[in-house]
Amino acid sequence: MDTLIPEIARLLTAKEARRHKLAALPFPEKVRAVVCLQQMAAPVLRARGRKVRVWTLDNRAAR
Amino acid sequence: MKRTLQVLNELERGGVIERYAIGGAMGATFYVEPLLTFDLDVFVVFPQSAGNLLSLNPLYEALRARGYIEEGECVLVEDIPVQFLPAYNPLLEEALKEARQTLYEEVPTRVVRAEHLIAICLQTGRDKDRERVRIFREQAELDMDYLGGVLQRHGLEGKWKQWTP
Repeated sequence: MDTLIPEIARLLTAKEARRHKLAALPFPEKVRAVVCLQQMAAPVLRARGRKVRVWTLDNRAAR
Repeated sequence: MKRTLQVLNELERGGVIERYAIGGAMGATFYVEPLLTFDLDVFVVFPQSAGNLLSLNPLYEALRARGYIEEGECVLVEDIPVQFLPAYNPLLEEALKEARQTLYEEVPTRVVRAEHLIAICLQTGRDKDRERVRIFREQAELDMDYLGGVLQRHGLEGKWKQWTP
């Protein structure tokens, strides 16, 4: 068990570093990431009866 | 979202709203890692001439006239559910006044400052707000002097101490 601890610590540190890296992304990239999260979460939430709408980002003609 | 922000800017230029700023999870996402949300929370302040400064009716009417329909607590603006929240207390008024000007794909917009988003979380006080404050402390670049001033002005120093032992 003890031998796992440094490995877990390394994984947790890497995870933390990734979150900081994500935090530093430009805002439009983060918005695209939020839409990816929505795509992943929507089926689960809909299965629980929650009405959710995945955003459509603007790759279409303006109104 | 670009079109949604353009519509908000048009409403501001047309005097339907005096000022707006993005808050909530999308506001937080500006400063920290992407956070899951399905709504775009937008704080608004109405022109003095609007009479009831807290009523969303004139705004909803203007949006309906442009073909945007209400969906629950939100209005669907260019396929994005936007939840409008009037600035109903001094903290939100200050947050709107001092919101940060930025660009989203060349479209000018405003985002509530991280320090105000933290104060709003403290004031709202739900479990998810507490978690958000933790994320802000961990990831956002905060101006601690500025945050101290906000907390003092709005009586939130006690809550801050309680949430950040």
